[in-house]
Amino acid sequence: MSKQVTRREFLNLLSAAGGTAAALKAGSALGLLPHTAQAASMDLLAADPAKRKVAILGAGLSGLTVAYELSKVGYECTILESSHRPGGRIFTVRHGDLIDEIGNRQYCEFDDEPHMYFNAGAARIPSTHRNILGYCKELNIDLEIFINENKTSYVQDPALLGGKPIRNIDYTTHTRGFMAELLAKSLSAGEMDQPFTDSEAETLMSLIRSFGNLTEDNLYKGSFRAGYAAGGFLEHGVQKDIIAFRDLLKTQMGRQLLDANEGDTGPILFQAAGGMDKIIEGFTNHVGQQIRYRSMVKAVEVKDAGVDISYEQDGAEQLLQADYCFNCIPSHLMTGITNNFPSQYTEALKYIRRGTAYKAAFQAKERFWEKEDIYGGISWMNNPSSQIWYPTAGMHKQKGILLGAYDYGNGELHTAMTHEQRIEAHLTDGEKIHPNYRNQVEKPITIAWHRMNHMLGCSARWQRDRSGWSHEEEDLYHALQQPINGRHYMIGDQVSMHSAWQESAVMSAQWAMADLNQRLRA
Amino acid sequence: MFKTFLALSLFIACIGGAGAAESEREPFDDRYCTTCHGTEGRGNEGVQAPRLAGMEPWYLRRQLENFRGDIRGVHPEDREGIAMRPMATKLTDESIDDIIEWIFGWEYIPAEVTIKDGDPSRGRGLYGGCAVCHGANAEGNESLGAPALAGQNDWYLVTQLKNFLAGYRGAHPNDTYGAQMRTMVSTLRNEAGILNVVSYINTLSR
Ligand SMILES: Cc1cc2nc3c(=O)[nH]c(=O)nc-3n(C[C@H](O)[C@H](O)[C@H](O)COP(=O)(O)OP(=O)(O)OC[C@H]3O[C@@H](n4cnc5c(N)ncnc54)[C@H](O)[C@@H]3O)c2cc1C
Ligand code: HEC
Ligand code: HEC
Repeated sequence: MSKQVTRREFLNLLSAAGGTAAALKAGSALGLLPHTAQAASMDLLAADPAKRKVAILGAGLSGLTVAYELSKVGYECTILESSHRPGGRIFTVRHGDLIDEIGNRQYCEFDDEPHMYFNAGAARIPSTHRNILGYCKELNIDLEIFINENKTSYVQDPALLGGKPIRNIDYTTHTRGFMAELLAKSLSAGEMDQPFTDSEAETLMSLIRSFGNLTEDNLYKGSFRAGYAAGGFLEHGVQKDIIAFRDLLKTQMGRQLLDANEGDTGPILFQAAGGMDKIIEGFTNHVGQQIRYRSMVKAVEVKDAGVDISYEQDGAEQLLQADYCFNCIPSHLMTGITNNFPSQYTEALKYIRRGTAYKAAFQAKERFWEKEDIYGGISWMNNPSSQIWYPTAGMHKQKGILLGAYDYGNGELHTAMTHEQRIEAHLTDGEKIHPNYRNQVEKPITIAWHRMNHMLGCSARWQRDRSGWSHEEEDLYHALQQPINGRHYMIGDQVSMHSAWQESAVMSAQWAMADLNQRLRA
Repeated sequence: MFKTFLALSLFIACIGGAGAAESEREPFDDRYCTTCHGTEGRGNEGVQAPRLAGMEPWYLRRQLENFRGDIRGVHPEDREGIAMRPMATKLTDESIDDIIEWIFGWEYIPAEVTIKDGDPSRGRGLYGGCAVCHGANAEGNESLGAPALAGQNDWYLVTQLKNFLAGYRGAHPNDTYGAQMRTMVSTLRNEAGILNVVSYINTLSR
C-alpha cells in the first residue's frame, strides 16, 4: 500500500461522527423521526354527515389506507381502480393470475399450491417501517422473516476466479480479513495513535482484529468463519483455502454483498407469509366492497365544495361526486387525465420520472439449492439478470418459486426484449451459478414494471441529480403534497421523499388525512 | 362526448395453455392505449405519448402497421418510438380495425400549447415548404399521405422533427412516407428552426 491514512483523515472521522449525532438529535427535536414503537391509530374526527363522501383514485396501498381509516370514522368511501385487481405495485403472482404487462400479457402457470407464489412488486418490510407494520398488526397479517443476506448463497462474476461461483461467505470473510490486516498495519504505524488515548487505540485495534478475525500478530491467515473444507463436527475441521486479495479485488460485486445489511435493509426484514398481497387482502377484508374495478378515471375536476370524477367502467362513462378526493394514480399517468389542477401541481406531476424495475421468476422442479445448504437469501451475479432469490416458502417441499432476475436501476434492457429473449437471458445467466439450471426450472413469468398496465413504472424519481434534492424539487414536492381547495390530495409513495417503499405510501396517506383533519378542526 | 362503438367483449382474448380453470381467467383486450395516450387519446406529456383523438384513420393505420412491422421505433436512440413499438407488435388486423373505429369516436380537442421559446414569425417562413404537403392550415392531405399537424401536442412534433433530422425515423427502407418527410426536414437545419416552425404550427387550426 502506498498511501497511508493521515492523522487529519482520522480526525475528520472523529468529528464526522460527532456531526451525525448532533444531526440525529436535531432531527428528533423537530419531530422528524417517529417516536412510537408502532403506528398510533389515527385520531380522526368523525365524518360530518353533510360532507362524508370520499373518492379514492387507485386501489394502491395508500388509497386503501385512506379507505380503511376514513371508513372507520364514518366516511363513505368509493375506490376507483382501473385494473382488474387491487394493490398496484404490491402484486403476488400465483397459478392462473393475469400479468397485465402491455404487449406481453401472460397467465401464470405455476402449480396451484399455497407456497408457489412470487412477489413481483414489493417484497420486504424493514422492522423500522412502523406504520406499515402497524397495519399488519391491526389487520392480523401473518409475518415471517425475509432473508436478504444469506452467506451460503453465491456470488458470480466473470472477472472473479474465471467466473467460478463462490459462496458469499468466502468473499466476505476473506475481504474483511484482508481489509482488517491493512487497517491494523496502518494504525500500528505509530503516528496514528495521536488522536486516540491508549485505551481508545487498544479498543480500536481489538475491533479491527475481530472484524477480520486476525491472528495475534495482526495478520489474516484465513478463518473458520468461512466454514470448513472438511470435517468440523466429529473430526477436526479443515480450513478452506484463502482466496488471494488480488483476486477478490477483481470483482465489484462486494458492494452488494457488504451492503446487504445496511441502510433500508439493515433492520430485520419481514414479508407477509403466503405472499405480500396478504397485506392488501387485510385491507380489502374491510373495504373491498367499496372498490370498483376496471374503472378508469378520465377526468378530475376540483370544485369549491367538492370534486367531480368521471370514469369509464364497462365502456360506459360514469360520474362520481365527492366531498373529498385522495388520488394515488401515478403522476405520469395523471398528466394524461383531464383535470383542472393549478399549474404548479401539474408542473410537479410532469416533473417526476419513473424508475424501471424488472423481475422474472421460474418454477423450480426441485429445490436444488437446498441441497447446497441454501435456504432463502440472494445470489448475486455480475450479469443483467443480477440476482437469484431463493424462497423460504415451502422449505423441503418438492418445488419452489425462484426469482430469476431483478434488474432494479437499469430495467430497460430486459423491458426492451421479447418474453422469449428475456427467459433465454435469465437461463444463460443463471446457469453460470447453477450449471443445470436450464433443466431444473420451468414456467417462467417476466414482469417489466415500465409496461405494466396502469402503472408504467416503478418508483417515483424526483431527483435529477442523485446527490440531493434541488430547491426547485423541494418546492414542487411540497406543492404536490398540499391539497387543492382543501378537497383533493395526491398520495402514494410518489408524494414522499423516500419512494419505492410501502412505508412511504402509508405515510403519505396518513399525512393527507391528518392534514384534512386539522383543517376540519380549525 | 364519449361514444362506445363496439362491445368490449368482442375483442377480449385469452392466451395460454389448457386447463379447467381457463374459463375463470381474467380476460383482457387490446384497448389499452389510453393508459399512455391519456383520456380519450388527448395525449400525455408524462409518457411522451401524443394525441390520437382526431387522427386520420389512414394515418393511424399506417403508423400502427409501421410499428408492428418494425419499420418505426427500432432505432436505439428513438426512446419514445421504442416505448410504442411493442404496444403494436401483437395487434391483429382485426384489433387494428377495432382500435381505429374506437379512436374515431373520440372528440378532437386541440392540444395545449407548451412551447414558449420558439419564434412563430420565423416559423411562418419555414412552414411555407411544409404547407405543400401538410396544407396551409396544417390540416393534412390524405392524397399526399401527410397527416394533420395542427392541434397535435407540440412537444411531440418537436421529438418527431428531431428524430427525422437525426435519422431515427424515416430511415427504414420500407418507410416510404417517412423517407419523403425525412428529406424535407433538412430545411429546418437545427433545434431553433424546429422550435420556430412548431410554434408557428401552434398558431394554426384545422
Ligand atoms: C419491483 C418493485 C419492488 C418493490 N420492492 C419493495 C419492497 O421490497 N418493500 C417495500 O416496502 N416497497 C417496495 N416497492 C414499492 C411499493 O410497492 C410501493 O411504494 C407501494 O406499493 C406504492 O403504493 P401507492 O399507494 O403509491 O400506489 P400504487 O401501487 O402506485 O398504485 C396506484 C394504483 O392506481 C391505479 N390507477 C392507475 N391509473 C388509474 C386510473 N386512471 N384510474 C383509476 N386507477 C388508476 C393503478 O392500477 C394502481 O392500483 C417495490 C415496488 C416495485 C415495483
Ligand atoms: C407504453 C405506453 C404506450 C401505449 C400503451 C400505447 N402507446 Fe402509442 N405511443 C406511445 C409513445 C411514447 C408514442 C410516441 C412515439 C414517438 O415519439 O415516436 C406513441 C406513438 C403512437 C402513434 C404515432 C402517432 C403519430 O402521430 O405518428 C400512434 C398511432 C400510437 N401511438 C397509437 C397507439 C395505439 C392505437 C395504442 C393502443 C393499441 C397505443 N398507441 C398504446 C406510447 C404508448
Ligand atoms: C413531400 C411532402 C412533405 C413535406 C414537404 C413535408 N412533410 Fe412532413 N410528413 C410528410 C409525410 C408523408 C409524413 C408521414 C410520415 C409517415 O407516415 O411516417 C409526414 C410527417 C410529418 C411529421 C410527423 C407527424 C406525426 O404525427 O408523427 C411532422 C412533425 C412533419 N411531417 C412536419 C413537417 C414539417 C415541419 C415540414 C416542413 C419543414 C414538413 N413536414 C414537410 C410529408 C411531407
